[in-house]
Amino acid sequence: MCSTLRKCGTYRTEGRHDHGRTKGGSPFQDNFDKRNPRYEHGGHEFLPSERQENDGSVEMGDVHKDRQLRHTPYNIERSRKLVKWHSEDQIYTTTWRNRKLPERKMMEDTRDGKTRAWFKVTIPYGGKYDKAWLMNSIQSHCSVPFTPLDFHYFQNRAHFFVQGAGTASALKDVNYTICDDQNRKICIFVNQSTAPYSVKNKLKPSQMQLLKLTMDKRYDVSKQALDLQSLRFDPDLTGHDIDIILNRRNCMAATLKVIESNFPELLSLNLCNNKLYQLDGLSDITEKAPKVKILNLSRNELKSVWELGKVKGLKLEELWLEGNPLCSTFSDESAYVSAIQNCFPKLLRLDGRELAPAMNVDTDSSELMKPCKESCNGSETLKHTVLQFLQQYYSIYDSGDRRGLLGAYHEEACFSMTIPFNPEDSAPKSLSQYFEDSRNIKTLKDPYLREELLKHTKRDIVDFLSTLPKTQHDLSSILVDMWYQTKWMLCFSVNGVFKEVEGQSQGSVLAFTRTFIVTPGSSSSLCIVNDELFVRDASPQETQSTFSIPVSTPSSSSELSLSQERQEMVQAFSAQSGMKLEWSQKCLQDNEWNYTRAGQIFTVLQVRSGNQVGKRRLSLGRQEGQEDGVRVAWGWNSGHLALLTSQLLLFFTSSRPRARSQRRPSSRSPERSPSTSSLSSLTSSLFPLFTSRRPCPGAALEAWPIRKPKLTGRLQCHNHPKSHLPCVFAPLMIPVYFHNKE
Amino acid sequence: MRKFRSNWSQGDRERYQERSDSYRERAGTSYLSRERWTHQEVVTSPLPKPVATSSLMASSVDFKTYVDQACRAAEEFVNIYYETMDKRRRALTRLYLDKATLIWNGNVVSGLDALNNFFDALPSSEFQVNMLDCQPVHEQATQSQTTVLVVTSGTVKFDGNKQHYFNQNFLLTAQSTPNNTVWKIASDCFRFQDWAST
Repeated sequence: MCSTLRKCGTYRTEGRHDHGRTKGGSPFQDNFDKRNPRYEHGGHEFLPSERQENDGSVEMGDVHKDRQLRHTPYNIERSRKLVKWHSEDQIYTTTWRNRKLPERKMMEDTRDGKTRAWFKVTIPYGGKYDKAWLMNSIQSHCSVPFTPLDFHYFQNRAHFFVQGAGTASALKDVNYTICDDQNRKICIFVNQSTAPYSVKNKLKPSQMQLLKLTMDKRYDVSKQALDLQSLRFDPDLTGHDIDIILNRRNCMAATLKVIESNFPELLSLNLCNNKLYQLDGLSDITEKAPKVKILNLSRNELKSVWELGKVKGLKLEELWLEGNPLCSTFSDESAYVSAIQNCFPKLLRLDGRELAPAMNVDTDSSELMKPCKESCNGSETLKHTVLQFLQQYYSIYDSGDRRGLLGAYHEEACFSMTIPFNPEDSAPKSLSQYFEDSRNIKTLKDPYLREELLKHTKRDIVDFLSTLPKTQHDLSSILVDMWYQTKWMLCFSVNGVFKEVEGQSQGSVLAFTRTFIVTPGSSSSLCIVNDELFVRDASPQETQSTFSIPVSTPSSSSELSLSQERQEMVQAFSAQSGMKLEWSQKCLQDNEWNYTRAGQIFTVLQVRSGNQVGKRRLSLGRQEGQEDGVRVAWGWNSGHLALLTSQLLLFFTSSRPRARSQRRPSSRSPERSPSTSSLSSLTSSLFPLFTSRRPCPGAALEAWPIRKPKLTGRLQCHNHPKSHLPCVFAPLMIPVYFHNKE
Repeated sequence: MRKFRSNWSQGDRERYQERSDSYRERAGTSYLSRERWTHQEVVTSPLPKPVATSSLMASSVDFKTYVDQACRAAEEFVNIYYETMDKRRRALTRLYLDKATLIWNGNVVSGLDALNNFFDALPSSEFQVNMLDCQPVHEQATQSQTTVLVVTSGTVKFDGNKQHYFNQNFLLTAQSTPNNTVWKIASDCFRFQDWAST
């Protein structure tokens, strides 16, 4: 083995030797020798060269033959490795997928002095998009900024080149992210490739210099015109053996580069007689010399108007196209003119002739009217009436009980609901509860069902509405369109969003469009005769923009509005009474921010509330939420336990449906029949307990006629030696202050 | 309060069968007749006269009649309307009453002349209606003029603009003649679902 290795080693060196020694060998040998340095990377292994060492040319032949023969088995072995063939101009590489491409490329690149690989980006159907729009979209979607080179079209595909593997992978990610006009996603393919033509055949600096000089001579400063007619045959250039064939990408790129650096304010460009077959190269002129107004492309080889589309970005006023094959493709003059005018709407002169100004497709007229926020159709009073009606309607709708809506509907009102999905498709999770009752005439053909799903009398309607999930409508962001109005009826549509506050899809935001037809009812109220509800998923924009302001019921006051001083009061009161901040605030507010009075009321109420509460609690016997009584591990008697558990139960069950609002809407009149003695008994019995951190569930007003005392941790202070707070009010701390509200 | 088929008396069931059969039949004929229409109007068969009986059954049957008729009219109308809007835009205003109003994304267009101008200015459209719902409007609101509320939703692509989801509501009124009923739009309200973002 080591002998083979040695042989290999020697062979390699031998190989190099050969290179030195056998200069005048066969062509095969020459090529072979050239290849030698390439194979340092685990390439071919050569035969041991003992024979070569020993013998002269005769052996050479043998060796060659042998090498030839022996080439193939090694090739097979090496089928998994990179096989590189080097020839002067081109580098062919065979790469395997899933290999890091740049690493492979690195080999040759370092040899060639380049450090980054080239990639060709292909956009199938790229031909139908506007180049500027396409490139802008790709640039904006791509995380890495890049410079596209050699953008060109080939059979309706758009191609361009980028350099660098990082850019290439970023561009790969752009695939399928851009949506075009028809909401179709654009594909972008990125493949490794050789360097683009304009880079490979970049003009040398000396050539560039010469080109610059030549162009300078041809530039007319007064008219800002550059005459590049028959540039190839310019004596300066031909004299120095430089072939500037403008049809070739590299030359055109070089020319444009010179224009960009030397003549950026160019107004007129003459490219006559340059045998231009395509204008892909010229398309960069829209960036490099955007002010060009006069373009002469006569006597070239342009075959279709589509070529002209590549320079559409220029706002041309004068264009020369005669002598191009495309001119003869038109049946008559006017077709030709209108085709050109399509491309360059502001064109004034074509082929030296004045043009009638084109019937400009006025972009403004093709724009749609902008949607208005409000449809101002109707008097102010009417709007006001409608808004008031909606507020009333939705406040009942959003409360737990929709039976209040019975008053809003006519005896024989109609209601139906739809969601934008076919029954065959599966409804999205958020709309699942509306799915069954969705009435879509387009898909629902059964006349029986059609009638079924239309709710007819007001009782039916309200019964049905009560089965819909509980909602919270955002009335600040609704849009009302009042679209029909007679003496007897008013039609309007409400667009807005609402949030589901309970149920399976709690928290999901849905958008709705509700159409009401109302008639004037008794006492200036409105009576709904027809009601159609359309519910759909809210778009992310809608979800964000609405509900951003915390919805506060009309009667609540947010903490934000409190002044500094009052906030301090609240803090202090909370500390002393042991109540939560909100409850302290409420108490203080009820007492007009009179601290002492609030405290007094508080203590008084605390004392008054007592045993009756406890008794009533015991009679409850609710079984749910037993786990809420978890805190009951203090060795109390069962009575205490029951009290505590029931209290907690009540709190939890009653507070859940509420949207955590501490206040009730003023339209509801909470029952206020305090049985103070019951409260105080409860308090006294529960003194030692309690680390409740929740406010007294005063919200459960319908369920309980009694205010539940709020028992706080501070209650402990009274009986425990290690009370750590100033508990002046400690023994009396029951926040049953809402008694005060009567 | 649901009426199950089994609860119906035999007579009612037969009547219902008849009606549903005739619905299907009529659907066939109306399609054919649509092709012969040159006036781009929505025409259905004459409205059945409500039978004045006092029984609860009868009134619910009448309601069913209204619902049926409303559904049929709505379906046919919507097909014609959007097809006309897409392909024969200039004939669209024939579907509107003289004093009809259109609220288009909040912009008020009222009267046939204004409607004509508006529809001319509107770029060419491609509508795709996915949802359709309709309700007969109570006569108290319409003073005994048969009216149907039609609500549609779907997508639309106007030339030069991107695709939008839209909601549209119509009030269709029936103008009865002895031979047939012509439905026309009394009022129209159209809005993109993403009106806020445009």
